[in-house]
Amino acid sequence: MSSTITKLNAPLTQAFDFQPSSELKTTPTPTRNTLAQRLAGFDTLTNALEYAAQGITGYNFYNAKGHLQSVLPYKLLRNNARSFARRLAGFNLARGSRIAIIADTSPEFIELFFACRYAGLVPFAMPVPVNLGSHGIYVQQLKGMLESSQASLAIANLDYINFLEEASNKTTNLQWVGTPAQLWELPEKEVTLRPNTTDEVAYLQFTSGSTRMPRGVVITEHALMCNLEGIVRNGLEIKPEDRSASWLPFYHDMGLVGLVLAPMVTQISVDYLATRDFAIRPLQWLRLISRNRCTVAFSQPFGLKLCTMRVRESDLRDLDLSCWRAAGIGAEMIRPETLRNFAEKFSSAGFSDSAFLPCYGLAESTLAVTFSKIGNGFHSIQVDSKTLIDKRMATKLRAEGRKYNEFVNCGRPLPGHTVKIVDETGQQLGENMVGSVLVHGASVMTGYYNNPEETKKALMPNNWLDTGDIGFLYDGDLYITGRRTDVIIVNGRNIRAQDIEELAEQQPEIRSREASAFGINDTDGTTTIVLVIECRLTSTAERHSLIKRLQQLVYMAFGVNCIVELVPPHTLPRTSSGKLSRFAARQGYIQRTNLDEQLLSVAESGDR
Amino acid sequence: MTDSNYDEILQLLRDRLSSIASSEIVITPETNIISELSIDSIKLLNLIMEIEDTFDISIPINALADVQTVHDLASLISRIKSNH
Repeated sequence: MSSTITKLNAPLTQAFDFQPSSELKTTPTPTRNTLAQRLAGFDTLTNALEYAAQGITGYNFYNAKGHLQSVLPYKLLRNNARSFARRLAGFNLARGSRIAIIADTSPEFIELFFACRYAGLVPFAMPVPVNLGSHGIYVQQLKGMLESSQASLAIANLDYINFLEEASNKTTNLQWVGTPAQLWELPEKEVTLRPNTTDEVAYLQFTSGSTRMPRGVVITEHALMCNLEGIVRNGLEIKPEDRSASWLPFYHDMGLVGLVLAPMVTQISVDYLATRDFAIRPLQWLRLISRNRCTVAFSQPFGLKLCTMRVRESDLRDLDLSCWRAAGIGAEMIRPETLRNFAEKFSSAGFSDSAFLPCYGLAESTLAVTFSKIGNGFHSIQVDSKTLIDKRMATKLRAEGRKYNEFVNCGRPLPGHTVKIVDETGQQLGENMVGSVLVHGASVMTGYYNNPEETKKALMPNNWLDTGDIGFLYDGDLYITGRRTDVIIVNGRNIRAQDIEELAEQQPEIRSREASAFGINDTDGTTTIVLVIECRLTSTAERHSLIKRLQQLVYMAFGVNCIVELVPPHTLPRTSSGKLSRFAARQGYIQRTNLDEQLLSVAESGDR
Repeated sequence: MTDSNYDEILQLLRDRLSSIASSEIVITPETNIISELSIDSIKLLNLIMEIEDTFDISIPINALADVQTVHDLASLISRIKSNH
């Protein structure tokens, strides 16, 4: 039995008891390996792990107080994963069957993920509940993923097993639900673990909180290996002395591919902090980097913002961030001020702004699409606002005093990948022209699992992936200017407008196609969600109660506040086919409320 | 769990919540933190940190999924504190 499991199943309150670090028995895995470094180039995940297991590096898990909680060297991971795989084999599932795992930041999640691959099964990570009062909606979301994936088994740690059991009620196809400890109690089946092939599915990655239409991105071993190779060789130029620190959730592509799998295929050590612990005390992440001399650590811009806002000046003295050479930033649009503010605050702690490494990517292309040049810091371009609005064209600001928009350079595509910008009709645009960002290459997904409708919307002819983002190319570098109106990004979370509308339409007072959700941006870059509802209720009390209920539902599902506006029927603008236009709904709202935000709305247009 | 423990926690929560809530509202145990107080996520994180530091506890993330009212939060803290 892996020692890590017994430890993590202990009640949380005990896990957080204060313990002076000198009394801890375990030490983290070292940075320097005994094994010659190989930078990806493996053909499958399990082959990569077989190699990493010959060394002494691995994963380390820290608690909220910054104390080492458990250690999972690649060697132990390999052994535990293979033992788990033989237990999974006892279920006699068809090769490629899906296995759902609630992905808290724990050693067991990683063990089970690899166990699935050793057993020829397809794992996928499900989120942990993060929002206040989210119990009911969270269970619905889990249920949606279990059904959409037709998962055969579902596994969660003790802390989350009750949610999973609720979600599993009456779920078709599901044969077994339990904890890692319960799985460990099952007998090992005497089987030879067959190697995987490169065209097999490696995992699914869910990208939407929808209860009705979840989208599970299908990634093959080949796509994964190809993306990882690009990330570690071209994006990060990983070296033997590198070490990572991460708080990113394991159920997001950046957390899983970027900070679990990429370190493993280069045999470097990683120090983990749970996302919740980072969110409450962001300083702990910086302390880990400083103390363990970590060199590679990624964050969404929002994570950097949290650090800037919540770390006290007095804490800076004890930090030495000079070791941090790759501060990767991605997963949402990057605003230059966020980076400048961070650099200003932490430069006295040794942080060098040349470490900033903006990149662009999405789960539908495994993780990474473009990287800026490592070690060069971030670069941005100031473009003339008027030309941007009138001609949808990025021209460098020439005269002082004119209004401008500033965008961050996200760099160039990984080798073997191409980015192009197209207009509404799919026609390719030239350099400097703003349009939809399309990606082509071996990292692109096969499709959304069991969801041909959504797959058709995302994958264009010849396997060009429509990213849903808007941007332009300038001197061959990609600049993202916004998202199309179907995705709203608040505090680093990607929220699909459709998922919010779907929640609203589940209310008895609201019919389908009578709700429209979109984001509006404040001048300081904060995004607020607006939900406009066509409403027939006349009583003030009923209207008030509907607004409150909708705000509560949105909060429980997505953890964000929203503005609810009730308008008379037929107010929301529709397209000729009767579809609501979010873009037009947003324009209408802006007019009604006299918001001046023409500048921010320019680059985001066109409904999907 | 003793009543004085709960009452003390409740009082502290009412004080803290009324200072960070964006609306003028009298906070009772039944007040719904989500729909009535409009507390943004950053303020909520700060509040959780303060609670954890004040009572020297850790609030597990899975437990917050069942918190809607001020009473829910107060009794959760009180429960964690007495198991501590």
